[in-house]
Amino acid sequence: MSTSAAVNSNRSAAPPLSPERSVAWPKRTVRTLANGLEVVLAESHTFPKISVELFFRSGNAAVAHTSPGLAEITASVVRTGTASRTSRQIEEDLRRMGGDLGTQAGADSSAISIAGLSEFSAGLLDLLADLARNASFPENEFERERRQKLEELKIERTTPGFLASDRFRRVLFGEHPYAIITPTEEQVAAYRREQLEDFYRRHYAPANALLIAVGDFASAAMMEQIEKTFGEWSAPQPEPQFVPSPPPHAGRRVYLVHLPGAVQAQLLAGNLGVTRHDRDWYRTVLANAIYGGAFHSRLVANIREQKGYTYSPRSGLNPLRQHGYFSVHAAVRNEVVAATLTEIFYEMDRMRALPVTAEELESARNYLTGVFSLGIATQDGMLTQLSTQYLDRLPEDYLETYREKIRALTADDVLAAARRHFDSANSQIVVVGDREQVLEQAALFGHLEVFDAHGQPIQLAAS
Amino acid sequence: MKQLHIPVEHTTLANGLRVVASPDHSAPFVTVGVYYQIGFRLEPRGRSGFAHLFEHMMFQGSENAGKMEHIRLINSSGGLLNGTTNYDITNYFEAVPSNALERVLWLEADRMRALKVDEENLRNQRDVVKEEVRVNVMNQPYGGFPWLDLPPVAFRNWPNAHNFYGDFADLDAATLEDVRTFFRTYYAPNNAVLLMVGDLDPSEAFAFAERYFAPIPRGPAPPRADISEPSQIEERRGEVPEPFGPLAAIAIGYTMPPRGTKDWYTAGVLDRILHGGRAGRVHRRLVLEKQIAVEAGGGADLLETNGPTQMVTRIFPKPEYSADEAIGAFDGVIIELALQGTKLEEVDPVKVKIRADYYSMLEGGMGSYMPRFGLMHYLASFTLFDGDPDRVNTILDDFLGVTPADVQSLAQKILVPGNRAIVIRRPIDKPAQTGGAR
Repeated sequence: MSTSAAVNSNRSAAPPLSPERSVAWPKRTVRTLANGLEVVLAESHTFPKISVELFFRSGNAAVAHTSPGLAEITASVVRTGTASRTSRQIEEDLRRMGGDLGTQAGADSSAISIAGLSEFSAGLLDLLADLARNASFPENEFERERRQKLEELKIERTTPGFLASDRFRRVLFGEHPYAIITPTEEQVAAYRREQLEDFYRRHYAPANALLIAVGDFASAAMMEQIEKTFGEWSAPQPEPQFVPSPPPHAGRRVYLVHLPGAVQAQLLAGNLGVTRHDRDWYRTVLANAIYGGAFHSRLVANIREQKGYTYSPRSGLNPLRQHGYFSVHAAVRNEVVAATLTEIFYEMDRMRALPVTAEELESARNYLTGVFSLGIATQDGMLTQLSTQYLDRLPEDYLETYREKIRALTADDVLAAARRHFDSANSQIVVVGDREQVLEQAALFGHLEVFDAHGQPIQLAAS
Repeated sequence: MKQLHIPVEHTTLANGLRVVASPDHSAPFVTVGVYYQIGFRLEPRGRSGFAHLFEHMMFQGSENAGKMEHIRLINSSGGLLNGTTNYDITNYFEAVPSNALERVLWLEADRMRALKVDEENLRNQRDVVKEEVRVNVMNQPYGGFPWLDLPPVAFRNWPNAHNFYGDFADLDAATLEDVRTFFRTYYAPNNAVLLMVGDLDPSEAFAFAERYFAPIPRGPAPPRADISEPSQIEERRGEVPEPFGPLAAIAIGYTMPPRGTKDWYTAGVLDRILHGGRAGRVHRRLVLEKQIAVEAGGGADLLETNGPTQMVTRIFPKPEYSADEAIGAFDGVIIELALQGTKLEEVDPVKVKIRADYYSMLEGGMGSYMPRFGLMHYLASFTLFDGDPDRVNTILDDFLGVTPADVQSLAQKILVPGNRAIVIRRPIDKPAQTGGAR
């Protein structure tokens, strides 16, 4: 079909899409080195840069019961010194290579990411390897990071979005390590430098690691460089942990976090859900896109575009390694807390009760498949796609088959997913706001408990 | 050094709409933007927040694509869309699979030609904008710090000094007639540039642009707000209460030289010497060495502004240090640069980093989900402010030509009290946490 302007002669109707151009998924070079390090390379030559990330499959969940947040502070201190480089040298070495460095830890993994100009690829890899193998944990840098963390915690406890997530994860996951997203001040004060070194020794190991590099390089030469830089590294693999699953939630319950003086209420509702390995994953992704996962979704159309309750309502699937969860959030004016929760559950129930329309189905399938392909147009986007696939150990054809799998789904699939995973009757609800303003409305939705910003229960006067 | 060349083609339609295309076939996407030369700095006096409220109205439907239709058509084409209001421009942009280019242009042209709004839409978006202000400013620790705090202290001319997000009374006072007038005044094709980047054929893209945008009539040249600032001699200071956060926060802003001057390029290098991440002098001295501050950093948005602009340093001092002690330590950094200057050993690596950051911005620039957003954004600035989209391929040279001596003499000239403003956010005294077991 021609794409010339003459095709669309009626200017009052939207032009049809022209034929889709094929998407060339990045060709990966994948190898596991003798020491167990998994390496994934993908070339991207548009810009003379590289992006590299070294993941370790151990994060804060691995230490949640002994020392919450230890993986995170370990990552923070890793970048502050090695056997041969001071903190200042690390930062200056980076700058002369046009580099950016990040070290972080989430629930399931720790990571060191480095990006910079491709003309400095060898130097960037050397610095990455130095941090992964020879971090020296200088005492003064550790104390400085600890102090910064303590001040950050105090700020977090005044941030509505953080307070909502903190309570929500505790409620959903109970005794499971995923319940804890941040340490207490007392726990941070109790960290010892030796604990960081110990975490580093045990978990920053090649057999526990995945290295992904995307950028302006030739894969064969890059693989050789990586073998040279990381091949000699050896360390035992950490013991896998077994953690029992959290029990399912029965009944709707409401948790109010009292933030005195709040001029808006932060709502967060949802329940345990699917991981990427669940047989319901794809259909739940599609159901979420129709419910509240896109600008053009039912929830956004309802509580933003029709009712004006909120600026940025969204629902999402959060696939952690062992368990996922489904969440809906909206920051709303105090007067419409009950009205908004009513609509959130109404839209969930509508997804459970009635099949979506053919037009909604088609629209959401196109949305997901289109946005998925936009991801490969930048090095960082490609790195994110690859880390999803390889960190989560998804099938080798994950990228190539994602779009077919989404396109094959039907309205019945969406209905089935909504019935199983948009569990409105057993949703857990967190409201962060000033209790004088919002308590009565929140209490309409289930058994209510109130907490202060530090997580301490507040007793309600008997009524 | 590997040189990067971005292909750029451009034309101007008979109605004055400038059109820029940059082909890149590395992946099957296109990123499209329409940039109007009206930002919050240029909005009418006494109408604070109107440029931003109006941005929301541009998503409320046009003659052939009603409310939610615009959003539906982009999402269902597999794409993403958004808009932002800035100092000197308001932009609307989409990233879509490349087979949706024509559809995107049809949509953008339809709302440039015939925006369709009613009282109900205006009421609705006024409510949405208020929640946006609450979630980003009024209900967040350090919300609006420092971008809303500094201008009223630093500047004397209303366009530069007012509340850009808008006072609620001004938002409430906005009428449908105001919306229509603003649209007629500023949203004419001759006050805009259309940008198309990605997997496209420029001649085909220009043909689409001609087809959909050429029928839109040219408007009268929009009035340009006078954004000049009277000269400053004294240091300016202000305080803002912080209702939630536990730490004081300090913002120090120095007004930058005019766009495109030799001093402006030098300022780009000077900024990175002071603020280039953890290797920058400010972070290194205040956070790593003296350990007075929990966090210190900042920068200047030089490429995307076209008027009085500040380089802003943000400092969060530890509670045991006073704001004056933190400012004293910062002044030590400034005075050292002015008195002792810098050397090639510092300037050369800073330039490498400037080059790397420029490439990163061109490639992505808005997270990784909107490819070439930064390229589109810079092409818009170079077209609207400098009249030359090809600057995308040459502007780096001007930054890379700066010498250590240039930096020192500029430091002596602009890093002076009479060219700066300081705002301190001070935590208010809070009643003890209420109730319960604590």
